[in-house]
Amino acid sequence: MRLAFEPAVEEFREELVEWLSANRPSAEEMEAEPALSSGHAPGWARRWTRRMFDAGWLVPGWPPERGGRNATPTEQLVYLEEMARAGVPRTTNPQGLGIVAPSILDYGTPEQVERYAMAVLRGEKTACLGMSEPGAGSDLASLSTRAVRDGENFVVNGQKLWTSGASHADFCFLFCRTDPDAPKHRGISVLLVDMDTPGVAVRPVPEIVNPKAAELNEVFLTDVVVPASNLVGRLNDGWAMANGSLAHERGMVWVQSVIELENATRRLLEEAPAWMAALPEPERGAAADAVAGLCVDAQAARCLGYLGFGKLLRGGSAPEQALMKMFSSETRQRLALVAAEIQGSPALSPSEDTGAVVLPLSTFDPTSWLEQYFRSFGVTISAGSSEIQRNIVAEKVLGLPR
Amino acid sequence: MDLQPDDDQEELRGSVRAVLRQACPASLVRQVFEAEQPDEGAAVARLWAQMVELDWPALSIPEKFGGLGLGFVELALVAEELGRVVAPGPFLTTVTQFAPMVRETAPDYVAEAFLRPLAEGRLTGALAIAEPAGRWEPAAVAASARQGRSGWILEGTKSWVAGGLAADEIAVVARSRDGLGVFVVAGRDAQLRPLRVTDPTLPLAEVTLDGIAVPPERVLVEPGDPAAGESIARALEEATACMAAATNGTTRAIFDTTLQYAKDRHQYGRPIGSFQALKHRLVDMYTLLERAAALGSFAAATIAEDDPRRRLAVSMAKAAAGDCQRLMVQDGLQLHGGIGFTWENDLHMFLKRAKTGDFLFGTAAAHRANVARLVGVAA
Repeated sequence: MRLAFEPAVEEFREELVEWLSANRPSAEEMEAEPALSSGHAPGWARRWTRRMFDAGWLVPGWPPERGGRNATPTEQLVYLEEMARAGVPRTTNPQGLGIVAPSILDYGTPEQVERYAMAVLRGEKTACLGMSEPGAGSDLASLSTRAVRDGENFVVNGQKLWTSGASHADFCFLFCRTDPDAPKHRGISVLLVDMDTPGVAVRPVPEIVNPKAAELNEVFLTDVVVPASNLVGRLNDGWAMANGSLAHERGMVWVQSVIELENATRRLLEEAPAWMAALPEPERGAAADAVAGLCVDAQAARCLGYLGFGKLLRGGSAPEQALMKMFSSETRQRLALVAAEIQGSPALSPSEDTGAVVLPLSTFDPTSWLEQYFRSFGVTISAGSSEIQRNIVAEKVLGLPR
Repeated sequence: MDLQPDDDQEELRGSVRAVLRQACPASLVRQVFEAEQPDEGAAVARLWAQMVELDWPALSIPEKFGGLGLGFVELALVAEELGRVVAPGPFLTTVTQFAPMVRETAPDYVAEAFLRPLAEGRLTGALAIAEPAGRWEPAAVAASARQGRSGWILEGTKSWVAGGLAADEIAVVARSRDGLGVFVVAGRDAQLRPLRVTDPTLPLAEVTLDGIAVPPERVLVEPGDPAAGESIARALEEATACMAAATNGTTRAIFDTTLQYAKDRHQYGRPIGSFQALKHRLVDMYTLLERAAALGSFAAATIAEDDPRRRLAVSMAKAAAGDCQRLMVQDGLQLHGGIGFTWENDLHMFLKRAKTGDFLFGTAAAHRANVARLVGVAA
């Protein structure tokens, strides 16, 4: 047990901090051209991705030719912490950088790697992830978007829902059914679909607190012709990638969620004393109790993350990691609600709309506490709802029978 | 930050666990629960003798006093293992409560007289901080100390003193006009009254001070010493963190038992653990268990490294241990159904220890209030 990092890790941190201060995009640059969705990379974001790629700071754990510097897992953790501390988004296209590109690197052909994965890493393309459908949410394996082989092509028909960033993304990592007769997990494949292909139509699904938001979308696919060379991995082997995709997503996402939770806690601790001064007892005491409980949870989230990380580093399994998504998202949700309740009636006034999207992995949410509360359901519902997470922990970690 | 015990610490945990599995089976705990008088059992004395034989009392005592000089992380691991089997006996009170108070508050020449025999297993101790109202923060201490002709004279009543009835020495926190001090009273000289308790493996006593005189060599720190308040607080942090660790051990045992029961017990032709309503409750229990364990590790590390966050970390750990026992007792009992409601099943001994562990050294609510003060949302 040790609270500090090794000196070598601290040197890594210093080098990064120094590089960031010289190379990061300025706040003015980012504000002048905000990202409109998680599929949108404004000019500064594309240049920023390229700069990080060239300097080996984009994905530090990877080798230099892939935008990294062969950093150790602990260094990667420090990297994510420092990026969040600096207030710079690592990317405006988190699903492209964090899920799609790694999956293509793992399963794709050399041509797919060059045309799609490396393009994402160099800031030339953005990606979206076509998984959920109207009839396939938590039960993803029941998806029904069909891809039928026709000579050198697949012809795709179907509909995706909740596709983040689809209205701006350059291509989609699309899960579709290629064998309707196989058991549902075994007939799924992944295709790379350029979003400007004829037959692809995107309709934004405005989210709960912002009717103008273009983050979530429906994607309609009507007789979309996709070259067979865009099949990722083996035919009908897509389910392995679905699990792999989520593993990429869950691997270190906890770091961002913990930092986001800590930033929100800090904001609460800054704002709460003024509201609480106006409260009579015993309301004030109840508020203090609730705020303290959230502080305990935020610190617990960090400690659980590190404890699990330590176990993984030692080559063991880390059940803590399975709890992290559920625990941090539910805590974040409760924090927003408690904050709004302590704030009182002023919580009913939403923040002013700046037009910018609050990215899923943003470490700071500037909207009002009540808006944050409503928006927080995005995290407890998506990428495996809290209920699905509980089933997973019950069966995979606790060994309870199905 | 690495919160995983290192290899040596894991080895220590493993050996402590292996010893306790043999030396402290549930049947021994049951003997204590069914005894007419607390602490009367020869079995408890044998368990303590075995711990002494293995040098456990010496683990965290500095080498200069004849101890092994291991750190706080090791001590917390032992406390957790003792909690896991609801071990009776003087270890927790002597090594995690009395010893830190002596070490933190007393000058070496005073401390040595207590810690050297303690490390050798020849002295047991207890810590008297709370009073009949059951508050554990030093500010609530009302027992008084005044200077007499040949030492200090104590007045007042201390209560909820764990292990106080059998302890050789009791460290008493009392105050004068100048502030708090700590005084060691010999158990045989003190007026002790056993309290009726929920958990007889952690017997509690009331100590009536009634003008008892304490000679200078038994004064750990005098009221008015500028270091007194801080050193008392630091000792309490250690005792509190160990009580949290012990409680976490007990709640883990409750969870393991409940989980196994959910897998074994069949109704409607299937294991009750296959029902989603129970699965989700077990996952929520498991979450609070891991939350408490993670914060317990963090608190132990901050004490071991004397990190400035230790006060906050300890209150967070005790609050989390308390939150965990609350759900674990509630759902552990409920999920066991009728069998958990019986005296014959061992479950109740664990439930009662878990509850006791929440109240001693401050409930979850009391420690959340402390967190609120430390983060600036309460006065």
